[in-house]
Amino acid sequence: MKRLEGRVAIITGSGQGIGKAIALGMAREGAAVVIAEIGEANGLQVKSDVEGLGGKASAIPTDVSREDSVNAMVEQSIKEFGRVDILVNNAGIYPVSPIEEMAEELWDRVIGTNLTGTFLCSKAVVPAFLKQRAGRIINIASGRALQGAVEGAHYAASKAGIIGFTKALALEVAPYGVTVNAICPGVTDTAQPRGHRTEEELYAMAAKIPLGRIGQTEDLVGPAIFLASDAARFVTGQMVIVNGGAIMW
Amino acid sequence: METSEKKIAVVSGGAGGIGAAVVSRLAQGGFVPVILDRDESLGREVLARLGLQEGQGAFLLVDVTKKPQVHGAFERVRAEFRRIDVLVNLAGGTLHAKLIQDFPLKEWREVIDANLKSTFLCCQAVFPIMKTQRSGSIINTASNYGVTGSATRTAYSAAKAGIIAFTKSIAAELAPYGVRANVIAPGRTATQRVMGQYDAETWAAKGREIPMGRAAEPAEIAEGVAFLAGDDSGYMTGQTLHVNGGMVMP
Ligand SMILES: NC(=O)c1ccc[n+]([C@@H]2O[C@H](COP(=O)([O-])OP(=O)(O)OC[C@H]3O[C@@H](n4cnc5c(N)ncnc54)[C@H](O)[C@@H]3O)[C@@H](O)[C@H]2O)c1
Ligand SMILES: NC(=O)c1ccc[n+]([C@@H]2O[C@H](COP(=O)([O-])OP(=O)(O)OC[C@H]3O[C@@H](n4cnc5c(N)ncnc54)[C@H](O)[C@@H]3O)[C@@H](O)[C@H]2O)c1
Repeated sequence: MKRLEGRVAIITGSGQGIGKAIALGMAREGAAVVIAEIGEANGLQVKSDVEGLGGKASAIPTDVSREDSVNAMVEQSIKEFGRVDILVNNAGIYPVSPIEEMAEELWDRVIGTNLTGTFLCSKAVVPAFLKQRAGRIINIASGRALQGAVEGAHYAASKAGIIGFTKALALEVAPYGVTVNAICPGVTDTAQPRGHRTEEELYAMAAKIPLGRIGQTEDLVGPAIFLASDAARFVTGQMVIVNGGAIMW
Repeated sequence: METSEKKIAVVSGGAGGIGAAVVSRLAQGGFVPVILDRDESLGREVLARLGLQEGQGAFLLVDVTKKPQVHGAFERVRAEFRRIDVLVNLAGGTLHAKLIQDFPLKEWREVIDANLKSTFLCCQAVFPIMKTQRSGSIINTASNYGVTGSATRTAYSAAKAGIIAFTKSIAAELAPYGVRANVIAPGRTATQRVMGQYDAETWAAKGREIPMGRAAEPAEIAEGVAFLAGDDSGYMTGQTLHVNGGMVMP
């Protein structure tokens, strides 16, 4: 039995990496997926990958940090698929910078994409979720929210902000049966850590992780599907930490 | 199917309110459930209700606070089924709730033993089996009170907080063998035992204090356990999953 049959899921930043894996995974479970991605070519590629699996997908070029772009994306999703049931706030950036060199513009861009983007997308789907008295929001935070990051003060702040936002929104929408949760991945093999770490550094981290390896994008798929499915209908305001035991919270 | 090919799940406290739901959910997921409980009639009833025949499920009468009984039980499971894929430690409960100055040491020990010691003993007994297999998933049961504490529940809160830290420790010890250990932390759950402590009106009022407006159904806790038991959580270890309708968000 497919666990997300008939659902419509918006996954932001799903042109590559973790978001792409979640989009494909949700499509395999029967969901129609919206690839809300700033990189148009990647978005279209994932759309055709989903269709290749026999799934339904729409690639909607979106900048999650811009309200007009987000609102247009949600509107178009509802127009195309008739409804929206699941939002995965996954789009995120991590341009490393030591604090003394951190330009205000960079700070604003990281907070604007990671945290404000999560706010804007959530705000845009909540009216539909409250009306149908059902809906799932899954925010991709990070272990960095819990333990900070060298040269990543903006990133850690944005991700910790997402956790605070998750709990507050969970309280607000709980009476409507809508749940809001966060997934905190540990270091996962995508372009993001590769942007500031060498191959050697990345794999050296594996030795310090109890389960003996860094994460793969597929590791996040099961937890995301669980949180989106009926099985997790009473789980809200929580963090699901998927990191091979790197941080036990 | 040969016994050796089936996946085996041992559930301590499997005769209880949440236990019955967990046993049912795991059976539905293809596991052969083995109940360890000191309530034989309830335990056998749980298996009978699921229509499980000999070989499809088992009940072992065990006081999980007694080391020889626990180790004996795991030996029997190993002898009969050859493997243990999942261990769920649910035995326990508040047992005694009173203010600290009125809390007899004897009762304190009973609460710690039923919850924390039983978890230790069952994990210790399953270690060699899962290590040899180089696979396995352990799910220990805490409670929101293990994070928040609760007036009159000093012993219970201490035991449940202990279970969380204990689980992180064994998660680190077992990870090199590919064995995972996580915690399920139910919030208030509508089991007969818990509901029996309130009249209907108070129960409903208590439910309204929870953001989602009600207590958890045992089946909803069982879904969390099934998630932690299976491959969907394959890269998770040492973590706590709270299923509480937003009652506590640590
Ligand atoms: N990879 C890791 O180690 C790791 C660890 C913890 C958390 N995370 C988080 O997981 C999420 C996904 O990261 P990833 O590792 O797959 O990274 P990634 O860089 O491979 O993918 C991020 C995607 O988001 C898109 N994106 C960026 N800005 C956007 C915007 N304004 N609007 C729409 N789309 C935008 C990018 O184009 C890209 O496709 C991020 O939120 C990241 O912070 C990643
Ligand atoms: N029901 C709730 O609201 C709630 C909330 C949070 C946590 N929990 C926890 O969930 C677990 C299950 O709770 P429940 O509500 O199903 O309780 P329950 O009383 O219905 O079930 C507990 C089971 O454990 C068995 N047991 C107790 N001590 C034992 C011993 N020494 N040896 C063998 N068996 C023993 C009992 O016979 C019973 O079958 C407990 O650990 C409890 O603390 C329950």
